[in-house]
Amino acid sequence: MSPTRFASEHKWIYWGAIVILVGLLVTGLIRYSAFKRTDETADKAQQLSQDLVKAGYPAPDQETVERLLGTDGGQVCEAPGNALKEALYRIQQLSTGTGGPGNRPVIADTKAVEVERIVLQVYCPDQVDDFDDAIDDLKTDDTVRR
Amino acid sequence: MASMDVPADLPKPRAEARPVAPPTLTWVTLALMTTASVASLRAAPTMAVYGLACVFLYLVPAIVFLLPTALVSAELASGWSGGVYRWVAEGLSKPLGFLAVWCQFAMTIFYYPSLLAFVASTIAFVIDPSLASNGLYTAIVIMVLYWTGVWVSSRGTKALAGLSSWGLIIGTLVPGTVLVVLGMVFLGQGNPSAAPMDASHLLPQWTGLASLVLIVNNFLSYSGMEMNAVHVSSLKNPAKEYPKSMFLAMGLVLLIFILPALAISWVVPADQLSLTAGVMQAFDAFFSYFNVGWMTPIAAIMLISASLGGMLTWLAGPSKGLLEISRSEGYLPPFLQKLNKFGIQQNILVTQGIVTSVIALGYALIPNVSSVYWIFSTITTQVYLIVYLLMFVAAMRLRKLKPDHPRGYRAPALGLICTVGLLSSLAAMFIGFVPPSQFGSGSVWSYILIVGGGLVILGLLIPWTFLKMRKPSWRTAAADAPHEGDAA
Repeated sequence: MSPTRFASEHKWIYWGAIVILVGLLVTGLIRYSAFKRTDETADKAQQLSQDLVKAGYPAPDQETVERLLGTDGGQVCEAPGNALKEALYRIQQLSTGTGGPGNRPVIADTKAVEVERIVLQVYCPDQVDDFDDAIDDLKTDDTVRR
Repeated sequence: MASMDVPADLPKPRAEARPVAPPTLTWVTLALMTTASVASLRAAPTMAVYGLACVFLYLVPAIVFLLPTALVSAELASGWSGGVYRWVAEGLSKPLGFLAVWCQFAMTIFYYPSLLAFVASTIAFVIDPSLASNGLYTAIVIMVLYWTGVWVSSRGTKALAGLSSWGLIIGTLVPGTVLVVLGMVFLGQGNPSAAPMDASHLLPQWTGLASLVLIVNNFLSYSGMEMNAVHVSSLKNPAKEYPKSMFLAMGLVLLIFILPALAISWVVPADQLSLTAGVMQAFDAFFSYFNVGWMTPIAAIMLISASLGGMLTWLAGPSKGLLEISRSEGYLPPFLQKLNKFGIQQNILVTQGIVTSVIALGYALIPNVSSVYWIFSTITTQVYLIVYLLMFVAAMRLRKLKPDHPRGYRAPALGLICTVGLLSSLAAMFIGFVPPSQFGSGSVWSYILIVGGGLVILGLLIPWTFLKMRKPSWRTAAADAPHEGDAA
C-alpha cells in the first residue's frame, strides 16, 4: 500500500514521530504500573459505591474505581471548576458523537452531571462548591434511555 | 454575488508556473485520509452512554446526511477536479465557489485548538494528569503540535497522506478492532450486556427538543467527507478511483463510529461512563474489566496519533482549495498564493497558523475565552453547513446544465439525494440555533443573536470583504484554462 512507499520517502519524519510516541508510551506504562491499591483507595471506592447506590445508581466495579480515582479523585478532582478543564469537558463530553470538526454541543443527560458531583463529595468535598458554580447554569434533560 | 463574476477584460495572469503534480495517491490512501478527517474513537465513550440507541443516532444521520454527501461528492469529483470550490464555481458561480471553500477553511481555524487541547489532555493523562488543567502546558502543546503539523503539511501531500493514513490505522482501526473483539469476548463469556440490547432500547429516549437536538446535531458527525476531494487530481484515474475511495471511506466511518461505541456500552454501564469524566478514563474503565488496564496508556498514544493524523488532513485540504480558486480568480493577495518548492500553499498555512495560534493561546490561557469556546464550535459548524447547502444545489444545477459532461460515476436519483441532503443541512442549521446545555438559563434570543451574528460575520461578511477587495492583477493562474486533472 502506498503509505509504505511514503514511509521510505519521508523516513526521518516517520522516525521522529515514532520516537516521540514510543517515549510517551514507555512513560505512560511506567506511570500506570506504579499505581498501588491501598486500604485508603479501597475505603474511598467503597464509600463512593454506597453513595451511588443510595442515589439510585448501580454499584461500579471496585477495582476500576480505585484505579480511576485513587485516594484523591484523580483527574475528576483536579480543579473541576478550572475554566480550561471545564471547556474541554463541555466540548468533549457534552457534545455529539463526532471525531472530526462537526462537534456540536447538545442538551446533555442529567445523570452525567449528577454522578460527577457524587464523586466530588466523596473524594474532594472542598471542590463541590466550585463545581456547582461551574455547572450551575447547565441545562440538562433525560436523554439516555435506562 | 453572482454579479461579481470575473470580467472578460481581465489582465493576463502572471506567468508563474504551477507545478503539475504526478499521481501521488492511491484510492485506498485517499479513503484512509477521508476516514481520518471524519472518524475517530474519541467520541465512542460519549456515544456509548446511549447504549443500543447509538446505532440509531449514527444510522439515521448516515442515511440523510452521510449518504447524500458521499454520493454527491463522488459524482462531482469524478467529473471535476479541485473539490468543493470547483463544483460550486461550475454549478453556481465563482464567488459562491470562493464562499464554499472559505467556509470550509474558516471552520477549521476554531477546530484545531479544541482538537489539540484534547491531545494535550491525553498526553497529560499519560505523563501527569495534573497538567490537564494547566493553561501554560496546554498552550505550549497546542503551539508545538500545530506548527509541527504546518511544517509537515508544507512538505507536500505525500508526507501528510502517509502520516494521516498510518495515524488512522494505528490510532483508530487497530484500537477500534481491539475494543470490538474484547466486547465480543465479554458477551461470548456469557456476561450480560451492561446496556440493554433489546428492541425497546433501539430508539433514544424521546424528551422532545433535547432529543431532536441530539439526533439532528449528530448529522454533523459526518461533516468533512467531501473535503479530501481537493486531492482528486493526485489519483491515477480520478473518475473511477474517487467513487471507490468514497465508498470505502463511508463504510469505514460507519464501522468506526458504531461498533466501538457499542462494544464499550456492552462492558461499561452508562452511569459508570458518566463517573469517568474523560475519554481516557472511560477507556481505562473498559480495559480494567479485562484486567488489561495497562492497555490504557497504549490506547491514549494511539488516540493521539489518530487525532494528529486527522489534523494533518484538515490542514492540507481546505487551504489547497482556497489557493486554487484564489489563483484562478485573484480572490487573495499574491503573497497568500505563493507556493513553496513542494508546490504547497505555505503562506496560507502560515497565516492561518498565526490566526489559529492567537485563538489557541486565548483558549488555553484566558478563562473567559475557554469557558465560551463551545460557542465557536457551534458557529463554525453553522458556517460549514453553508458548504453543504451550496454543494447540493450545485450538484443539481450541474446535472441540469451539463448533463453530458463526462462523469466517472453518476449518483442514482440525484435530485432526491440532493433534496434530502439539502433538507438535512437546513434542519441542522435550524437546530444549531437551539441553546444547548452549556448556555444554561440564558435568553434564547441572545443565543440566536450570538450564533446568527457569528454566522453572518464569519460565513458571509469576511468572504464578501475578500471579494470586494480583490484585484484583477492578483490572478496568478488562468481562470479559463482547462483545469489540470479534470477528473473524467
